[in-house]
Amino acid sequence: MKTVLVVDDEVGLADALGDVLRDEKFDVRIARNGMDGLKRVHEQRPDLILLDYMMPIMDGCEMLKALRADASYRDIPVLLMSAVATSNIPADCTVTAFLRKPFDIDTLMAELERLGMTRSPK
Amino acid sequence: MIAKSTQRPRERLTTGVPGLDAVLDGGFLRFGVYIVQGKPGAGKTILANQFCFHHAANGGRVLYVTLLAETHERMLFNLEQLAFFDSSLVADQVSYLSAFSNLEEEGLKGLIELLRREARSRKITLLVIDGIIAVEETAQTKSDFKKFIHELQIHATLVGCTILLLTTASTDSVGPEHTMVDGVVEVVDRRIARFSERELEVTKFRGSAYLRGGHAFRITREGIDVYPRIESLLQDPSPEDPCQAARVSTGMPSLDAALHGGLPCGTGTVMFGPTGSGKTTVGLHFLNDSRPSGPGLHFGFYETPARIVRKAKALGFDFEAKQKERALELLWHPPTERMLDALGHRLLSAVRERGVKRVLLDGIDGLLKAAVYPDRLTHFLTAVTNELRLQGATTMYSVELPDLFSTQVALPMQGISSLLENVFLFRFVEQNSELRRLFTIVKLRDSNYDGTLRELRITSHGAELAEPLGSETSGTTGKSARSLGKVGATKAASRKRRLKLRARKA
Repeated sequence: MKTVLVVDDEVGLADALGDVLRDEKFDVRIARNGMDGLKRVHEQRPDLILLDYMMPIMDGCEMLKALRADASYRDIPVLLMSAVATSNIPADCTVTAFLRKPFDIDTLMAELERLGMTRSPK
Repeated sequence: MIAKSTQRPRERLTTGVPGLDAVLDGGFLRFGVYIVQGKPGAGKTILANQFCFHHAANGGRVLYVTLLAETHERMLFNLEQLAFFDSSLVADQVSYLSAFSNLEEEGLKGLIELLRREARSRKITLLVIDGIIAVEETAQTKSDFKKFIHELQIHATLVGCTILLLTTASTDSVGPEHTMVDGVVEVVDRRIARFSERELEVTKFRGSAYLRGGHAFRITREGIDVYPRIESLLQDPSPEDPCQAARVSTGMPSLDAALHGGLPCGTGTVMFGPTGSGKTTVGLHFLNDSRPSGPGLHFGFYETPARIVRKAKALGFDFEAKQKERALELLWHPPTERMLDALGHRLLSAVRERGVKRVLLDGIDGLLKAAVYPDRLTHFLTAVTNELRLQGATTMYSVELPDLFSTQVALPMQGISSLLENVFLFRFVEQNSELRRLFTIVKLRDSNYDGTLRELRITSHGAELAEPLGSETSGTTGKSARSLGKVGATKAASRKRRLKLRARKA
């Protein structure tokens, strides 16, 4: 079972994404900000991170930079989620993929497929 | 700040409820969560189901979840009577399920879970939850209820569906759900004196313009028909003038001559006069000049189309032939029902559909009688006349004055003469024990005209204006030339008497 870490300060959305991904047989962990997210990564290395951009304490780009600075986590695919367009996100915030909020489940699943996160057999 | 180039178009769901999409500036926004509220019997369920069947007919998939008492069998039985109901869509594209027991047994979390799974597995694009008040009653705290609404919003986006929440609450009590949802539509059945009028109002609609204020609606066998308030719908008239400076014949050569070439195209002319003074006759002349290339419309309240045809025949006009060649349409609206906006929409759509260029609105007090709020009428007429001008239609309005004879002209409606560009006045005058019709032009937009008083003669060959009356006549007061002469003689005699008295005193 593949593990997905959802990092989002929007509790309702993080929980809802968790429910949806669990339906798709992913193992889901949830963090509320970048700092919390880094802690979860250290606890258990995820196969994919769904990362919100604008968060308190540590935003998505700061978490990403910290993650990329560590060779052991550098290759974890990160899907950045944000309501703002990519043009408003700093250029040095390099992510594997970007999803503009709001998005629907089919769009999310298509992106996961594209990233090779094939669903576990149900 | 997000750059303009990153703005995304908001996809809309049309409702299939005539008039409602105009109120909503195109329909509900996709992924939005909306409350439709109103007392029992106000029309919530019909409105929601009409939307559901329209959405399904256009390829969408609908889940209608009930949380209250009415069984699906009973609801479907009632819906079957309505024209929009299509049994072939039920079960596959429009599915009904009751979640009341689920809510009772598993609470709000269980209900959210059920909705999410059902919506996902059925690939739902429109979800209706009927009886959201049951959720509020089940919630332990207001915060729990707010959380439920918030989660619904998130799932609406994730599942890719739009959500309608039906509730009996009214805007008098603003609940937490009102602050959280994307829009609120209220339907009411208002009692005004002995009449009832159904009214719909959008009190909130995030991310979109909408027509504010109340809009009348009607429930018929076809379903719900909303009539957006005319002055709200047409609040920004275009300054364009498709007519430019052209003149339109009144169908009466002598009147055209007095108008120095006819009525200015696209203008409105109000004809004031007591009953029988010739207003409709002049209007029928105007309509008799209708052609298939420039059609006419008689929009009346008191006389049936058959009577209008007979009246026209008495003047030598064949209105039946004009109707057959689609040069003329006669629309009759007995003033029995109070729905001003329905009349306004019917008038404007009749003009737009056939490219009508000549309109006779016969008996403007028919509109006054249909107005639940009479103080709106000036705004209503302003919007209607602007729209008629934009359509290039020249319009005559007849207004009945209450008194056959009077020294004053008491207009039955305030502001109408300033609203319309041209004013004609019809009066009766008594002369040699005979009633005669008098006519005069009081006002004509940006143009000279012959404002002399003339007799309006009506014969079996039509109506014509006779030569101007004598200089002594004061026909607008109903007094005749002869009686005026007597008044003058009396005044001269009393002056002589006063002079004699002064001479005696001296």
